[in-house]
Amino acid sequence: MIHCICMVQEGQITPDQEAALRRDTAGFASKHFGAEPEFNWVTVGKGNGFTEAKPSNSVIVSMNADRSLAPSSREPLLRELCEIWERGAGLSPNEVVTVIRDPQ
Amino acid sequence: MPLDICNAKAGAVAEEAKAKIAEAITRIHCDVTDAPPTFVHVFFFEDGPQPPLGDKTAMIYGQIRAGRTEAQKAQIREEMGAALAEHTGITVDALTVFTTDTPASWVMEGGDILPEPGEEEAWLAAHEAKMAAFSSAS
Repeated sequence: MIHCICMVQEGQITPDQEAALRRDTAGFASKHFGAEPEFNWVTVGKGNGFTEAKPSNSVIVSMNADRSLAPSSREPLLRELCEIWERGAGLSPNEVVTVIRDPQ
Repeated sequence: MPLDICNAKAGAVAEEAKAKIAEAITRIHCDVTDAPPTFVHVFFFEDGPQPPLGDKTAMIYGQIRAGRTEAQKAQIREEMGAALAEHTGITVDALTVFTTDTPASWVMEGGDILPEPGEEEAWLAAHEAKMAAFSSAS
């Protein structure tokens, strides 16, 4: 099972963007890890998210890989996932945090 | 990263306290580990599913980069708990703070793999130069 936690700020992403991001993120997991992820989509309420102690515009996307990854394999995957979210949510690189974890 | 999730019972953390707690948590990470403040994310939830509160009133779950000493981690937990107590009035025995380690190489932020502990200054300089080029090109 591939788990994917997506933490977004309230009002940051439209329903259409969310649908596209879920589709593209699921496609990413299928392509690289062989299965669609189980999403845990978490919205941080207004006034509840802070980055650098200021109101946050950050999204955190954390996915489990299906295998242990060497750094040389993980970096391009992190970059591809980051670009999916930058493009899909209209965010700058500084507003996207991606995590790809080895299986626990 | 660090990413600190504060989960609390409804009403336990006043709206006006959240910015103060986030500011304190950010300062604590920066003071103890020299992490850049831009790395520090603090998200608040009320009666959220994770981390489960059990019999506690509030909880902070911090995900930090691996490589900190046990003394640094203990200091972070102790000071974050004290800041949460100070700004909410929750007694220390009614809150819990725990941290887990995530390898820096597992995380990309700002389009770059996060630095290993101790390499933040060089990382930040290179990253800021890259972002300046990104801004002028777009």
